[in-house]
Amino acid sequence: MKKDLVIIGGGAAGLAAALSANHPDIHILVIEREKALGGILNQCIHNGFGLHVFKEELTGPEYASRYMDEFLKMNIEFLLDTTVVDVKKNDDFELTVSSFENGLFKINAKAVILSSGCYERTRGSIAIPGERPKGIMPAGSAQRYLNMDGYLVGKRIFILGSGDIGLIMARRMTLEGAKVLGVAEIMPYSNGLTRNIVQCLNDFDIPLYLSHTVTNVKGKDRLEQITIQEVDSQFNPIENTEKNFDVDTLLLSVGLVPDISLFDSLDFKRDAVTKSAVVNQFYETSVSGLFICGNALHVHDLADYVSVESEKAGKSAQKYILNSKEPSKQIHPIEFNSNIRYVVPQLIDFDQFKDSIDLSFRVSKKMDSAIFKIMQNGQVISTKRAKNLAPAEMEKINLKSVTLVDQSPISLILEEVIL
Amino acid sequence: MYDYVIIGSGIVGTNIARELSQYQVKILVLEKENDAANHQTVANSAIIHSGHDPKENTLKAKLCVEGNALYEQMEKELNIPLLRTGAFVVAHNKDEELMLDELYERAIRNGVKEILFHDQEQAFKLEPNLADDITKVLSLPSTKVTYPWEVAFACLENAILNGTEFKKNSEVTDIKKEKDYFKVEINHKVIIETKSVISAAGVFSDQVAYLLEKNVPYQIYPRKGEYFVLDRKAKGFVQHVLYPLPTSKGKGVLIIPQVHGNILLGPTSNRQDEKDLLSNTRDGLNQIKDDLHTLAKNIPFNLIIRTFAGIRASSSFDDFYIQESKTYSNFFHVAGIDSPGLTAAPAIAKYLVDHLLKHHNLQKKNNYDPIRPKKTVFYKLDFEEQLALIKKDPRYGNLVCKCEKITEAEIVEAIHGPLGNDTIKGIKKRARAGSGLCQGGYCEQTVLKIIARETNQPIDKINYYALDTPILVQETKVKP
Repeated sequence: MKKDLVIIGGGAAGLAAALSANHPDIHILVIEREKALGGILNQCIHNGFGLHVFKEELTGPEYASRYMDEFLKMNIEFLLDTTVVDVKKNDDFELTVSSFENGLFKINAKAVILSSGCYERTRGSIAIPGERPKGIMPAGSAQRYLNMDGYLVGKRIFILGSGDIGLIMARRMTLEGAKVLGVAEIMPYSNGLTRNIVQCLNDFDIPLYLSHTVTNVKGKDRLEQITIQEVDSQFNPIENTEKNFDVDTLLLSVGLVPDISLFDSLDFKRDAVTKSAVVNQFYETSVSGLFICGNALHVHDLADYVSVESEKAGKSAQKYILNSKEPSKQIHPIEFNSNIRYVVPQLIDFDQFKDSIDLSFRVSKKMDSAIFKIMQNGQVISTKRAKNLAPAEMEKINLKSVTLVDQSPISLILEEVIL
Repeated sequence: MYDYVIIGSGIVGTNIARELSQYQVKILVLEKENDAANHQTVANSAIIHSGHDPKENTLKAKLCVEGNALYEQMEKELNIPLLRTGAFVVAHNKDEELMLDELYERAIRNGVKEILFHDQEQAFKLEPNLADDITKVLSLPSTKVTYPWEVAFACLENAILNGTEFKKNSEVTDIKKEKDYFKVEINHKVIIETKSVISAAGVFSDQVAYLLEKNVPYQIYPRKGEYFVLDRKAKGFVQHVLYPLPTSKGKGVLIIPQVHGNILLGPTSNRQDEKDLLSNTRDGLNQIKDDLHTLAKNIPFNLIIRTFAGIRASSSFDDFYIQESKTYSNFFHVAGIDSPGLTAAPAIAKYLVDHLLKHHNLQKKNNYDPIRPKKTVFYKLDFEEQLALIKKDPRYGNLVCKCEKITEAEIVEAIHGPLGNDTIKGIKKRARAGSGLCQGGYCEQTVLKIIARETNQPIDKINYYALDTPILVQETKVKP
């Protein structure tokens, strides 16, 4: 099977990328491992989606259906219940694909967009001490069981980590009659959106324990009790701050990691912070024709931003195919100071820089007031003031090509303003 | 009336069952858990040791060396995975090099055949990530690693094929000696009659023995070992099992490549009173990280996907305790089987049958079949073989566990196999679904539904592992 563009993953990112890449001369195939398009949006039945893209508040499935309707109208080819199991790159990409219905087969593609989303960090990766009974689960898995299958995974719940899924699940499980006893966050600030802290915890009197973590788990077969403790600035537990909670479930909302293992066999530049590929402004990796977008590139706080980013990746893939596969240019890294954790894209190709680029990034600490400066060749070429910055929220700044002084490196500087 | 009731289906009990199943005897294996191989067997270093470490002239030394050789035969007969890693014991200075010499001598006396030294240059050529201050290593080419619970499953499956019976969720609650047989009580309810009892009950073996005997000649002193598991992405970080020099506390904290590409870091070795408190501790995990710096550099701690702890059935007796009861003939203790228990297990079974059961005059079966058929590991096959299998069974086309590349057909096989299981962890132990980077975050819900479908159970009856541990506990008010 030969395709121009294969998009791996038919969720928020894949659908937006497919729509923007669509072109009469380009044969696109979207591969989705689930039984339906829409990805993780299908289990996000809460509202808060679409405020940026559609200027109205939608649920996850509603948001997904806007894209799906559009997608289905365009007659773009797609496969459900199908998994990409291997990938090779020579001149083109050779994907090995598998499904119950069609068995194992190969697809050749000129370009690939990887929009495979992310996975949840687990108990093991953060080494929570204690026993290993049933009842400890990533919040997203519990969300899926609840919203897709219609079952609660427990009745007395504690949540570790104040990531958005955990907060959303605190409210959701409460509404279903479970008792949520608290949320512990190891950082001194919340890792979720402010609106979720207010609407999911405060409105339901669920306590948030900042600078606390789970330090013990009890229960041989079934979870019986967890212990939380306050931590010092080095995240070491402080003695005599133990609090015990008798619970049957510990949900983990301790971070998401881009899921790009499928492409481990390809040698591309990686970003140690985002745990995904380094890309230029076209969302193209150092492997020509491989584009990455959405949560597979870096974890977003809002689905709307995933869509916006993925549309650009789709456009870039379209151009790449129509311009007979110009090799990826991986030049001019964007530098940044320590108040910023990462910036995406990490690289700029000045030769093809027209109009503007959205720089997406996260800050390293909470700041009430700050100023962003884009610098080039010792000059400040753009500034922006910002208030209430937090690592949980993705920031964006627009870099316009007209402001460039020359082709020397760009740096993004964030300075805290102490009032 | 059974001829033999074996208490415990860990690596020792299952090897004994297999060894005995070649004779014309009626055998029952009892297990108190909801699956075989659920204590020490599922939480250890997975090493088939060469035999350099046990004290000379002990059963541990003898059976370790014999067991190591027997694994080669088991690989052929039972199709168990073996990875021939070899091992290095490292020294950092002249004093430690002298200790390596002593270890060399001991290994020779224990009957280890292959053993040699590498100087610093050779050692680093073979293992570039060794800690920089290592000056010399003792190399043990016959050290290898296996997948311990698959070995236990394979032995038990093969024993079952040869007529052995297996009962899980069957805790022995009393043992009484009648004139020339035993009454074994299960779960305070059922009584089973047997001519002989073999207790291979691991950390619980002294408790089991006390059900019958007033004076048990050993006490179990549980010793906990904690570990980190690194993802398969760490494959190749080291090729050999790396040991520090042994101390009075044991073999120390090791780096151990695993058969599926993962790497284990551990174990600690700390006494505790509780026999089944399998908890990880902050101190234990920190100790692993601290201790390992003398073994290797560039350890990819960022690839940790799991922690676990196991309890060794160490005892007050300074060796394996494999003896017939002094008071009750035909009650056999197989106890105090801590390291190198996994290695020794097949030799323990032979020793028991050849020496202790000699007077039972066992007669071989004509139709004994030592072969356990090879399990399909789909992802290891080449493309053409995969195509052929999918043609036969399209469920091989449905990839369920993305991280470990496990298909629906392999999960179905794990459910319905000779030693099938219908729990999430039971399937993980058999088919590896959920053993990877996302630790089942993605595939657990699919596995759960496949189990429900294959066993005709509602999805909220599917257990995580033990009885009454359902993943799903209550339906929502409104169905989606």
